[in-house]
Amino acid sequence: MSAAWAMVRHRFASFAGTFVAVFLGVAVVAGSATLYLSSQPQAPARYDRAPVLVTPPDADTGDTRDQQAWTSEEASALATRLGGVPGVTAAVPDPWFYVQRLEAGRATGDDQAALIDGHAWSSAALGGYRLTAGRAPRTPGEVVIGTPNPVPGTASPEVTSDSKSTPANSKSTAGATGATGTIGTSGTASTVGGTANTASTEGTVGTARTVEVLTSAGPETWRVTGTVDGPGFYVADGEAAKRASGVRVIGLTVTGDVQPAVDAARAEVGPSGVVRSGAERDALEPGSVTRIRWIGAQLLIALVSLGAFATVFVVSSTCALSAAQRRRELGLLRAVGATPGQVRRMMYAETTLVALLAGLLGAPAGMATAPLLADAMVEIGLEPAGFTVTWQPAALIGSVLLGLFVALAGVTAAARRASRIPPLDALREAAVDPRAMTTARWIVGPLCAIAGGALLAGMPALPLEMRSSAGMGAAMFLLCSAALLSPVLIVPLVRAVAGPWRDTATGMLVREGTLTGVRRVASTAAPVLATVGLTVLLAGTVATIEVAAGIDETAKYPAADVLVPDGTPGLSAAAVAAQGAEPALTTRVLITHGDTTAGSYATGRGDGLVLDRFTADELGSRAGDVVTVRFADGARAQLPVKAVDDEASLPPDLVRKHDPDALTSMIVLKDTAIPAPGARAVPIHDFVMEEIDEEGRLVDLFLLALIGLTAGYTAIAVGNTLLMATTARRGEFQALRLAGAGSGQMLRVVAGEALLAVSVGAILGGLVAIVSLLGVRAAVEDEIGRDIDLVIPWGATAAVTALCAALALASAAFPVIKAARSRS
Amino acid sequence: MTNDATPAVELRAATRTYGTGERAVTALDRVDARFEPGTFTAVMGPSGSGKSTLLHCGAGLDRLSGGEAIIDGVPVRGLSERALTRLRRSRVGFVFQAFNLVPALTAAQNVALPLRLAGRRPQRGEVTGVLAEVGLAGREGHRPSELSGGQQQRVAIARALVSRPAVLFADEPTGALDAASGAAVLRLLRSAVDRHRQTIVMVTHDPIAAAIADRVLFLADGRVVDELPGTVGAEHIALHTARLEGATAVTR
Repeated sequence: MSAAWAMVRHRFASFAGTFVAVFLGVAVVAGSATLYLSSQPQAPARYDRAPVLVTPPDADTGDTRDQQAWTSEEASALATRLGGVPGVTAAVPDPWFYVQRLEAGRATGDDQAALIDGHAWSSAALGGYRLTAGRAPRTPGEVVIGTPNPVPGTASPEVTSDSKSTPANSKSTAGATGATGTIGTSGTASTVGGTANTASTEGTVGTARTVEVLTSAGPETWRVTGTVDGPGFYVADGEAAKRASGVRVIGLTVTGDVQPAVDAARAEVGPSGVVRSGAERDALEPGSVTRIRWIGAQLLIALVSLGAFATVFVVSSTCALSAAQRRRELGLLRAVGATPGQVRRMMYAETTLVALLAGLLGAPAGMATAPLLADAMVEIGLEPAGFTVTWQPAALIGSVLLGLFVALAGVTAAARRASRIPPLDALREAAVDPRAMTTARWIVGPLCAIAGGALLAGMPALPLEMRSSAGMGAAMFLLCSAALLSPVLIVPLVRAVAGPWRDTATGMLVREGTLTGVRRVASTAAPVLATVGLTVLLAGTVATIEVAAGIDETAKYPAADVLVPDGTPGLSAAAVAAQGAEPALTTRVLITHGDTTAGSYATGRGDGLVLDRFTADELGSRAGDVVTVRFADGARAQLPVKAVDDEASLPPDLVRKHDPDALTSMIVLKDTAIPAPGARAVPIHDFVMEEIDEEGRLVDLFLLALIGLTAGYTAIAVGNTLLMATTARRGEFQALRLAGAGSGQMLRVVAGEALLAVSVGAILGGLVAIVSLLGVRAAVEDEIGRDIDLVIPWGATAAVTALCAALALASAAFPVIKAARSRS
Repeated sequence: MTNDATPAVELRAATRTYGTGERAVTALDRVDARFEPGTFTAVMGPSGSGKSTLLHCGAGLDRLSGGEAIIDGVPVRGLSERALTRLRRSRVGFVFQAFNLVPALTAAQNVALPLRLAGRRPQRGEVTGVLAEVGLAGREGHRPSELSGGQQQRVAIARALVSRPAVLFADEPTGALDAASGAAVLRLLRSAVDRHRQTIVMVTHDPIAAAIADRVLFLADGRVVDELPGTVGAEHIALHTARLEGATAVTR
């Protein structure tokens, strides 16, 4: 209806809250969705010239960490067969193993990416990589090294993206090509230095030199026989087969059409493998990259859902307030013949217009911001290196539609209420504050309080693992209850808070203004309540649990030092042997009992197969059963289950034999540590705290993002409410002015009211959150059997409250100052 | 004027009480009134006499507690809110004391609003025609804030007349205007009755305004206590009013 457009144009101020909320909401959603959709799995660049990839059959355990392997013999045999398939020019197995470059005795590059950095020379063809200098490796101890090599602080460029498009790669290729011309000089120059350090920093690599690397065996010095125009370390095929734990990919290069080759390969492979082409190849994304993208996706999903939720919240409170203020106008429409349905439809139409406008501006803004965040996300570890943002039309359309939908959801309640306004209201001077407590509030508020209280009270009876979620749930209920009942709670609170100033004129005006405008105060206090409550609760729970986790973890270990990986994915055999200790190799195996297969980590220890309880339950196997174990290298063995215990283990010699690439995660030291590359000694407590801090860093980041978003929305809600309310109270202020109040006094009154509302919200929110925190603490104490300190995040709480207060002051004072200006 | 014609509005034993129990207030007490087509009636009475309630109930803005209100032959009782709105939209026009124009809309848009709400596209010239009739030709594109009080009230009258309602209710239409603007508005109402046989029911305090009507109803304590022809003149009406107010003051 054209009337809706006229309304929106004329009263844009009262739609500003909706506009800003939808604009930001859509921007957040569009930006997050763009990042999310841009972050798709991608087959590693080193398979760029292999349009068809063959992998062993899926492990079917439902866990992506479980992957079957072929033994190197199986792989060779299959590759030979595949090589004879029409259309296939070559079938190359790609065994990989752990190699990490050492610089000055320290491991460099991304530790997880290094797990798959070692390759057989023949597999370089799968990426179309060619020698840029020197010759191929032939004997053990020879290597062709890729350029660029891993640079400290970033993931291996191997996982960046395809070399066709990214400028980073083409640049490095050029650098490597340039290097060929300088082999003679730089080669001799750096041989004097004895290491490849200078080479890697200058981007030039000589051929007659050596490179220090760390493998699962320990530090090794390899002779560099050549360089290749792609990333990675390439050794002779036989050498790679020995070092790798089985083969998980055979790459096919083809001539002519891909599809006939795929069909032929499928027929040849049969059930002994999966033939992947096109998008199916992307399933071969390295696990370390998948994990990074997964963490990033969690944050993005949280942002999208919180953004949508907060938008509904702000839109509904804004619309409710604006409908209350427009009572007379809506009554007039009813009086001149608008049916309730027409009033409702008009409000929907208005909101649709505002939401579309906001969405169409917000979505491009969000999408334009997304690429700016890409680098930061890579740096923080939320997206893999080389992540680039691409144009995502689905994000644009989806976020605009979501914004529209969310805004309409927010306006529903207000529209229904507005359509019930009787036409007679057009004839009344609507100065009365409509009843603040609705029936719905009276019903739902106490129900929420009861539900929250019951959850808190019943927590000791709940299973341990459910207690923290119960605590959070209780807090949510209590916060909702406090928000719903706030009109009732406000009156006594305001009397208490404003008590000391009751004898001054300003104090009296503030107090009485607040007590008569309970609804206005409630709609200002509610978002503050929710934000302060959530901040105290989330940050407090995390901090309390972190403290508890530290106590809990360290309690398990004796007060000793441990040898732990230093920038590496695990300890090499040499690092362990140097301490005179037995390695505790960790491997992942697939165990089949009857028809059930489960994946499990197992440590090399003892003299028989021990299953952990969880896996034993899953398999339905007990001590004495014979199970089939498939090792990392693809070999199978029938082994009797010796026992079922806390942790799974296998005899060490079996692990070493079938998973030559296995590493030791850490060992407890009996004596002073002997230094070894890729290892460092730390007290257990410090190590545990480091791990917790590492986790905590991500959790903190999530918290910051979520609390930031919530606080931002609170700011909109508070600012908008006060701006609208103060504007609508012009008449009241006019009367005050006529009664002799100066501009300063007026400002003090509105500022006082705003601060009072914020304090009421902050106090209520804080109280509810602290009550819930006490519940959470009790549960955690019960869980670990010790007393722990309650950590209240004063800093975050103060910051959020201060932000709310500042915004409240600004938006309450603005109309008053504006009015004063226009008068003079 | 034929007596058997359907009255534009008829109230039969109309009763309206507000509140319950001890605090119940009877605003209309078994009022019978007929407003014949093409007549101009002024309703007068002291504050609290029930004249606004009579207007609201007669216009279908408020519902009776007892008795019947019949608008253009249609009984209001039993109509749903939606049906009542439609009845009001097609048969009843309003003019309020405080103009009550939608500030977001231009004069022409305000006038066209009832038609649009009825789902009808105003015919070419229909809106401008009505605006010209109230003397506002050329002001179609002005917003209420750009018009004087008298002009705004004339837009409101144009809006009330545009759907050719069976009855036009005016609630103190001159109350917020200066004497000259008020007189212009009254002339406009009178000419609507004379030229288009428009039925008008006007609530007013002002004897001068009442004198322009065909008849004047006097209300006190929710009942019709007297009736005079408008032709008796403002002075006579004022005198009568004063006497009535004195009487009610004494009875209280």
